Amino acid sequence: MNDGAADSLDEHLDRARSGERAALAILVQAHQRCVYSLALRMLGTRDLAEDLTQEVFMQMNGNLSAIESNRHLGFWLRRVTSNRAIDQLRRRARVQMTSLDQEPELFGVEADTDPLLQRHVQALLAELSPPARAVLLLRYQEDLDPVEIARTLDMPLNTVKSHLKRSLQSMREKTIGMPPVRWEDSST
Amino acid sequence: MSHDIESRLHSALRPVAPSDEFSQRLLRRIVLRPVVQPEVRRIGAGGRHPLAWWLTASLAATLILAVGVHQHLQQQRLQQSGLEARREVMEALRMTSQKLNLAYEAVKSQSTSLTDEQSGA
Repeated sequence: MNDGAADSLDEHLDRARSGERAALAILVQAHQRCVYSLALRMLGTRDLAEDLTQEVFMQMNGNLSAIESNRHLGFWLRRVTSNRAIDQLRRRARVQMTSLDQEPELFGVEADTDPLLQRHVQALLAELSPPARAVLLLRYQEDLDPVEIARTLDMPLNTVKSHLKRSLQSMREKTIGMPPVRWEDSST
Repeated sequence: MSHDIESRLHSALRPVAPSDEFSQRLLRRIVLRPVVQPEVRRIGAGGRHPLAWWLTASLAATLILAVGVHQHLQQQRLQQSGLEARREVMEALRMTSQKLNLAYEAVKSQSTSLTDEQSGA
């Protein structure tokens, strides 16, 4: 997101705080992709992800006065989504990540990623504990650095680093024997 | 190798958009819901909802009133039983006094008749 767009969203945030609904709608549209993707990949089913996304935005609507900027809003949404998803997963005895097979949208229809890679990532996500899954998604989906992830999840930095290390190790083991496909080139 | 895996993960985990139907439904739900205006925090309120304060205050007032009424009734009962006890004691004294008077009269009449008999003899 460039500075101009961020400034514009800051203005929309001010207007949303003063009760302008069109501005609120713009904020929701700007952040729904991030919230929905996190919820979907954390919980594994579209229905649960939609419910969580709706709950998070409802909560945002009631907390606008505490949000200082659009950047803060992004941080707040990631934090609330991750924590709520972790809580939900902990409440359930075992997540039925097998249902991911029935969720083709998990990786996006527009994604030019290889199905085999998707299956590996899917298997990796299914094996991870809820906090480790959140760490991996914040790192590779949201492109946050470990310090930002630690702040978002209120987790020690070393724990974040060890989750990432273990996840990468697991991924590496799964991809042994895979041909070195260059995914970036597959779209061309 | 590590960079390769990381770039694969970046690639596989690109954000996905929700369905248009859900997106529209979400917007309708959020935008049609009244926006919560920033609340001015009152000093001493500690950020609690005013309704919670009203509930707490009325609960406390009810409790104080109930304790007051209870104490008043208990005091009345004590006063009543005290009066009853005094009345019973007075009644007992009155009866005792009557009995003593009767005994005195009997003794007195007996001693008078004895004196009369002795003087006649």
